[in-house]
Amino acid sequence: MQFKSQAVSKPYFIAAIGLFVAQILFGLIMGLQYVMGDFLFPHIPFNVARMVHTNALIVWLLMGFMGAAYYLVPEESETELFSPKLAIALFWIFLVAAALTVVGYLLVPYATLAKMTGNDIIPTMGREFLEQPLITKVGIVIVALAFLFNITMTVLKGRKTAINTVLLVGLWGLAIFFLFSFYNPDNVVRDKFYWWWVVHLWVEGVWELILGAILAFVLIKTTGVDREVIEKWLYVIISLALITGIIGTGHHYYWIGTPEYWQWWGSIFSALEPIPFFAMVIYAFNIVNRRRREHPNKAATLWALGTAVMAFLGAGVWGFLHTLAPVNFYTHGTQITAAHGHMAFYGAYAMIVLTMISYAMPKLRGMGEAASERAQLTEMWSFWLMTVSMVFITLFLTGAGVLQVWLQRYSEAPQAFMAVQEQIKIFYWMRETAGLVFFTGLVLYVISHFVGGPTGAKAKARA
Amino acid sequence: MTAVAVVDRTPAARLPSPPGDLAIWIFILAELLVFGLLFVAYAFARAGDVALFNHHQQGLDQAAGLINTLLLVTGSYFVARAVAAVRGGSGRVCALWLAAGFGTGVLFVAVKFGEYADKFAAGVSLSTNTFYMFYLGLTFFHLMHVLMGMVILAVVAQKAWRGGYSRVEHAGVETGAAYWHMVDLVWLILFPLLYVMR
Amino acid sequence: MSGSFTTSAARNIFYGGTIFFFLMFLGLTYNTEQVLPKRDNRAALANPAVAAGKKLWEVNNCIGCHTLLGEGAYFAPELGNVYKRRGGEFIKAWIKAQPTGAPGRRQMPQFNLTDKQLDELVAFFKYVGEIDTAKWPPNIEG
Repeated sequence: MQFKSQAVSKPYFIAAIGLFVAQILFGLIMGLQYVMGDFLFPHIPFNVARMVHTNALIVWLLMGFMGAAYYLVPEESETELFSPKLAIALFWIFLVAAALTVVGYLLVPYATLAKMTGNDIIPTMGREFLEQPLITKVGIVIVALAFLFNITMTVLKGRKTAINTVLLVGLWGLAIFFLFSFYNPDNVVRDKFYWWWVVHLWVEGVWELILGAILAFVLIKTTGVDREVIEKWLYVIISLALITGIIGTGHHYYWIGTPEYWQWWGSIFSALEPIPFFAMVIYAFNIVNRRRREHPNKAATLWALGTAVMAFLGAGVWGFLHTLAPVNFYTHGTQITAAHGHMAFYGAYAMIVLTMISYAMPKLRGMGEAASERAQLTEMWSFWLMTVSMVFITLFLTGAGVLQVWLQRYSEAPQAFMAVQEQIKIFYWMRETAGLVFFTGLVLYVISHFVGGPTGAKAKARA
Repeated sequence: MTAVAVVDRTPAARLPSPPGDLAIWIFILAELLVFGLLFVAYAFARAGDVALFNHHQQGLDQAAGLINTLLLVTGSYFVARAVAAVRGGSGRVCALWLAAGFGTGVLFVAVKFGEYADKFAAGVSLSTNTFYMFYLGLTFFHLMHVLMGMVILAVVAQKAWRGGYSRVEHAGVETGAAYWHMVDLVWLILFPLLYVMR
Repeated sequence: MSGSFTTSAARNIFYGGTIFFFLMFLGLTYNTEQVLPKRDNRAALANPAVAAGKKLWEVNNCIGCHTLLGEGAYFAPELGNVYKRRGGEFIKAWIKAQPTGAPGRRQMPQFNLTDKQLDELVAFFKYVGEIDTAKWPPNIEG
């Protein structure tokens, strides 16, 4: 660890992993509710489990991005973080706000929570992924702005590398687009139109910049390949991402009341959105192949390569499968959507955070460049368990979705939603099984941090 | 492999590569891909309603389209002369040729605005029908590329005027020229496709 | 000077390309806003019950189980066209009767809505059902 202030990343990463565990626990609950419809009803209805699942995901990814930024920005800027104290304070504020929000979701009926938290002042609750009460949303903005201030001041006083710059643009974009979550018009079409300015322009927009910057950083550190090469290709990749992704937003504007020309523009541009992900695969593998050193952290390299591949498969390929308007007409809002969503989020964003944690944690814990061989082995097992089970989750949901589309949407004699859900149950059982394997992988991942002793010294002593 | 940023000046050792920065060529390829897909989509849409497309195509101002074609081709000629000038070491002459190219761009935009004004006055919009969606969408998308090209020419011209390029170091001029030529090439396909072919 | 590939060129393309496409996106957004009045059934919003119904939809987190115009959760049926599929009276009766308590069946909570609120929700569903969604969904089942 080159700079003392990089240590502030550690609590962020620990919280991220903790929230990841919570996310999957609630995912398992939902998966079971899909096949045992009244499981935990009325204490935890499906929609409550879902908002905990999705909000925990978003918060742990944000924690991961912040931890990643606090780690890599001082190193890239070659100067200490502007204010480590601020970073720690913000950590606790964010964590407590997130915890209170989840407690609110679980303990209180949502309508009551809305009343209690002043939703009548500015109504922002009740939209997917944006279920947070107004005060939480305001809290997120404050934490984000303070975080950005801290990071930006650090970059301004130090070296401005491409990685730093791209990360900053991505993070500022994240904060700015989040502001649209406060805009909730009565007009449902306009509500939906601008909702996507948060969601799409996040995950198919500025978040790709964050992903690219973190990946580039880890690749420079673990392979020793020229910064010049890594940075210019990073710019190429993110250019492709935004060139395709900005107008690609139109693939959410086919059927929500917006003009029909979006079917053309959205289809064409979003069909090209896999290209930057494909480029990222070539990029990652090429750079690792050309490496100038054998870095002891094999796990981090595995995560980095895995991220590129899974992001391409989940976001790129599965995204492409349902992005063209004539196809989407039948698949819109089905299990196909869920299949894509899971692999895309895991492959791109969960995995890049795990990549960064894998690289940085040994240093943050004073273990040196990498954890012990045994710890890394455990971690790599967890990688394979989670990644392969996610592929199966996606395949099973795709199967469910294809059958659902056939029976409910495409057929000459369409069947009702609930009747179709009964017929695709087998896929849901298989998905839940895969989900349990995923959870096993996650548990193993947590365990990997305790293998071989905190400094790996025990393993070394035995060897 | 050595870092690609290092330029090998020995002609024998140099791998064949396009003029200007490779980055612009990646961008050009991406743009051509997008336009290509748009043209395919157009063909597809037209096949779905040939009568509609043929009917409204007749309402397009072919003369304006022809003038615009001549303007862009002339502009490309000017830009090529600019590259030749800077290769010969004349930064100021280069800048003047680029300015001439910029000028053809200005006229192109003016003609285009005239076409649009005419259509908008008649109540035509992106949502009127599929033909007009493609006509307005495609030509506007292309127009934005012409504007971008003009910005690039202006920036490069300014640098050339101030002596920022030499006989040996003028990648920026070639890069900008490559982009302009791409914009021209796209129009050369767009014009017959939209305005002429039945 | 051929054969170069510089970070600064790549960076300029990134900034130029992003601004270009963002401007184009803003242009299309502007046009969309111009066209929307013909498609989004906003006349229905003159009835305050519709906006009230949207609020109820939100504070009860209906989207946590259902989809609306295909967006939301996939646990329960699409409700964008439920007014056409079931009619106002059925919708009100259904909401009043939840949960079904049928063993193993997916359960919907009881939201304790007043008659006025139920009418508002129905007005909201009717409004959504009349938006021009380019013929989506493919059939009445949603």
